[in-house]
Amino acid sequence: MITHKDPIHILLADDDEDDRNFFSEALAELKMTNKVTLFKDGKELMDYLDNPDIKMPHILFLDLNMPGKTGFDCLKEIRANSRFKELSIAIYSTSSAEKDIEETFVGGANIYIKKPNDFSKLKKVIKDVVNINWQFHSSGLNKETFFFSI
Amino acid sequence: MKFLRLYKNDQVFRIALGIAIVVIGYIASVFYSKMQQLDASVERIATSSQTQLELEKLLSIITHYETYLRSYIITKDEAYLKNRFLDRGEIELNFVELKRLTANSPSMTRSLDSLKVMLDKRFDLFRETLTLARVRNADKQMLNDKLLESTAYTIQMRDHVYRAIDREAKKLKKLNDEHQFGLNDSMVSAFLLVILSLLVLLLSFNRVSSDIYQLQKANDELKFLNQAFNNAEKVANFGHWKLNLTTNAYTFSENFYRLLGIDPDSPEATPENIATFIHPEDFESAAKAHEESLKTFASTSVVLRYVLPDGKTKYINSVGSFMQNSKGDQIKVGVNYDITEPYLKNIELEHNNRHLKAVNEELESFNNIVSHDLQEPLRKIQMFISRIQEKEDGVLSEQGKDYFGKIYASANRMQTLMIDLVNYTRTIKGDKTFVKTNFSSLLEQVAQELSINVEEKQGSLTFENLPTIKAIPFQIEQLFINLITNSLKYSKENVPPKIRIAGVKITEPETIQDKVVTDRQFCKIVVSDNGIGFRQEYAEKIFVLFHRLETDVKYAGTGLGLAICKKIIENHNGYITVKSKPGKGTDFSIYLPKT
Repeated sequence: MITHKDPIHILLADDDEDDRNFFSEALAELKMTNKVTLFKDGKELMDYLDNPDIKMPHILFLDLNMPGKTGFDCLKEIRANSRFKELSIAIYSTSSAEKDIEETFVGGANIYIKKPNDFSKLKKVIKDVVNINWQFHSSGLNKETFFFSI
Repeated sequence: MKFLRLYKNDQVFRIALGIAIVVIGYIASVFYSKMQQLDASVERIATSSQTQLELEKLLSIITHYETYLRSYIITKDEAYLKNRFLDRGEIELNFVELKRLTANSPSMTRSLDSLKVMLDKRFDLFRETLTLARVRNADKQMLNDKLLESTAYTIQMRDHVYRAIDREAKKLKKLNDEHQFGLNDSMVSAFLLVILSLLVLLLSFNRVSSDIYQLQKANDELKFLNQAFNNAEKVANFGHWKLNLTTNAYTFSENFYRLLGIDPDSPEATPENIATFIHPEDFESAAKAHEESLKTFASTSVVLRYVLPDGKTKYINSVGSFMQNSKGDQIKVGVNYDITEPYLKNIELEHNNRHLKAVNEELESFNNIVSHDLQEPLRKIQMFISRIQEKEDGVLSEQGKDYFGKIYASANRMQTLMIDLVNYTRTIKGDKTFVKTNFSSLLEQVAQELSINVEEKQGSLTFENLPTIKAIPFQIEQLFINLITNSLKYSKENVPPKIRIAGVKITEPETIQDKVVTDRQFCKIVVSDNGIGFRQEYAEKIFVLFHRLETDVKYAGTGLGLAICKKIIENHNGYITVKSKPGKGTDFSIYLPKT
C-alpha cells in the first residue's frame, strides 16, 4: 500500500540511455519525492530484485525490447515469484502492437504505456501513473483500461 | 401381352419347349405303333388272299383230274393218266402251302383237316374208278355209279372249299376295313405330328432369331461402349490395366501404352515391357505397394515416374482396386492418370508459395521495422525538439524557433505516415476473423478516442441507427477513425465541423460498380460532414494509395487514410462511394453485407 509518508520507490529498466535520462529528468522536474533506480538491461534488474535484502520497490517501468533478458522475460520471472505480488508493473515501450499489449496483459502487467514523443507528455504520464490508486486500478483491470492513453 | 411376356421369359420358354418335345415323342411313338399294326394287317390281308388262291387252285386241280379221268375212260389213252392219281405231288405241295398260310388260324386248320380227309376219300374214288375203267369190258353200270358218286363227292368237296373261301373272303373284308380305319388314324397322327413339329420349329426359330438379334444388339452396344471408353481414356489422359490373380495374366489398355509413348500396335507394346519404363528410383516402392496389395486386397494409390522412350519423364498416379469377374477370379483393376502437368504445376506452386511466405515474412519484419525500429529514433528527435523548445526557448533566435517548429511538424508528419503505413499493411495481411459487431458501441469507443481531436476544432460527432453485423472489429474501428479524422482535417476554417454517421435503409436497389445492391443483402452507413468538399470528378481518385487532392500544407495528410478505408471495405466484401461538392461537404456511403 502506497502511503504519503512512504517515499515511492520507482524502478526503470531501459537499455536506451536517452530514455533513462528523459525519465530521470522528468521525475526531477516533477519535483516528486521519489526514489528512482535505473537499470540498463533485464539482467541488471533481475539481479537487483533477486537480492532478498532489498526493500520492495513500488512501481517498475519496464521496457520490452532489451538485449539479453527482454522485458517479457523479466515480466514472466517477476510474476512467477510471489515475493513481488505487491510490485506494480508498467510496461514502457515504443511499440503499440496489439500482440505486445495482449501478451503483457496476459503476462500480468498492470498498465501499458506507449513511450510519448513529447517531454511534457512524458511528465504527465509519469505523474499520472505514480498517482494512480493501484488497488482500485488493479481491481477494475481490463483490456480497455490496461492501455494507458495520455 | 401376358403371353408375350411369358414367351420372352427364358424359363417358361424352356419348359414349353420341353413339353412340346415330349408330346411330339408321344405322338411319334403312337404313329410308329400304328404303322407296325398296318404292316401286320397288310401281311394278314396278303395271307388271306393267298389262302383263297391256294384253295381255288386245289379245287381246280381236282376238277382237272376228273376231266382227265373222263377223257381216259372215253379214249383209253394212257397219256391222260401220266403222273396223276397215283402220286399226289402237286396237291401235296398245294396243301403244304395252305397249311403254312393258315398256321395262325385254328378254324382254318380244322377246315383243312377235314378237307384232307375229303381229299383222301376223293383220291380213293379216283383210284377205284380208274381200276374199274381199266378192266376190259367193265361193268358199265358200276362205272357209271362210280362216276356219279365221284362227281357228287367233288361237288361236296367244292362246297366245303367254297365255304372256306367264303369265310376267308369275309375275314379279308374285315381286315380291309380295319386296315382302312388304321390308315386314316395314322394319317391324322402323322398330320398332327407334322403340324406340331412345324409349330415348335417355328417358335424355336423365332425365339432363336430374336435372341440372336438381342445378342447382336448387346454386342453392338458393348462395342460402342468399348470404343467410347477408349476415346475417354485418350481424351482424359488415362489408361487402365488388369491383373487376373488366378491366371496371373496382365492386360493393358491401348491408351496405357500411348501414355508411355508406345504405339499400341507396335511390337514393343507387351506387358513384359511395361516394367522397364518405370523410373529406377520409383520401381521398388511401386512394386512393393503392388505386391502388398495382392495379399491384403486393399486399394492402392501410388505416384511414380515413367521414363518414356524419348527420354521424357512422366508423372503417373496409379490407383488400383480389386473386383471379381464372372468366373469368380480376383482381378486387380488399375487406372493410370497422367499427372505430369498438375504435378509440375504443384511443385511450381509450392515453390511460389514458399517464396510468397518469405516475402510475407519480409513484409512482416518491414512492418516491425516501421512500427518500432523507425519510430524509436523519430521519437527521440521529437523528444529532443520538445526539450529544446522548452528549455532553450530564450536562447533561440526567431528564425531558429521557426526552424525547430518546421522540424517538429515534419517529424510529426513522418510519424503519422509510418502509423498509416503499418495500418495499411495490417489491413492487407492482418487477421480477418469476422465477429458479430455492434457498430454503435464500437463508435462510442471511437468517439471517445477522438474526443480531443473533435473538441480541438469545436466540432460535433453524432451517430444513429447503426447496425450489428459480422465484421472485423479493429478494421471497422480503423475505418471510422480514418473517416472522422479525414472530415476533421478537411473542415472549413472557422466553421465548426459537424460529422454525422447514420445507418440508412436502402429503399431502392442501387447499382455500384455494375453490381445491384439491395436492402435485403446490404446495410448502408452514411458519414457526412460540412467540410471543404471536392469536385465530384475526383471521387475515384481519393481512394488511391498516396493520392492527395489538397497540396496546401495546412491539410497535412499521408494519402493513406482513405486507401486504408477502401481496403477495409473490400475485406468485408462491401462498397464505399463518395458524393461531394466543393464548399458544401462530403458524404461517404458505406455498404456492408448483412451476412
